[in-house]
Amino acid sequence: MFTATPRVQVPEALTKGEIFKVRALITHPMETGLRRDADGRGIPRKIINNFTCRYNDILVFSVDFHEAVAANPYIEFHLRATESGRLEFVWEEDGGSVIALRHAISVY
Amino acid sequence: MDEDTWGSGLTRRRVLTSAAFFAGSTLVPRPSTAAGDEAGDLIERLAGKRATESNRVHLQMPRVFPNGYTVPLALAVDSAMTEAEHVVYVRVLAPRNPIVEVATFHFVPKRSEPRVATRIRLAEPQEVLAMAEMSDGELLMARTWVDVATNGCI
Repeated sequence: MFTATPRVQVPEALTKGEIFKVRALITHPMETGLRRDADGRGIPRKIINNFTCRYNDILVFSVDFHEAVAANPYIEFHLRATESGRLEFVWEEDGGSVIALRHAISVY
Repeated sequence: MDEDTWGSGLTRRRVLTSAAFFAGSTLVPRPSTAAGDEAGDLIERLAGKRATESNRVHLQMPRVFPNGYTVPLALAVDSAMTEAEHVVYVRVLAPRNPIVEVATFHFVPKRSEPRVATRIRLAEPQEVLAMAEMSDGELLMARTWVDVATNGCI
């Protein structure tokens, strides 16, 4: 059985007010539900359908993913550094399971 | 015999469609205008209103890419991102994919910038669309043609 492994990249130290880049990736096949197996049976859809980023518990960015997002969905986005604290990343898979990752950030 | 009838029917149809195609291209000076309406209609159907083509929306993708499984996409919208004037979301569509919706990015004023990158699947060469809904309700759009050599089976 495969395990979805999340990874994020955030700058080490930030200046207050600065816009910074976040890169987030999760290993996942993003099965579209349109393919068939060797016996002709449909392979059920299983994708990461949603990604959210919270900054000290405030929702600052989110994405709805559909079937056409490539396997191992990668997303690069930009946030404003407001204060030190914690970024929380959550990926939601079809069927309801979630994968979460937290990352501390320092703003000077 | 059935096959013959079917065969000739198909040939005739082919002739007729190609004739219509040529007639169409002489009548419409810029074929891109017709394609634009198609994209505009699709957006209207999905979003419930018309989008305005805008150079504030920047959709960047390679013009030609070897495979359709993982095509890079970058997009940005020029916006102050204040409470009064910001981008609410940007929706990416691939009209020639079996499932047209690709992804929707949601932004928060003063907290996130409408500037993202990801990788998408394209089932065939096509024009990819990005539509941005602004805080005043206006829909802005941009498009870019991508030629994929191998199609991303989705």
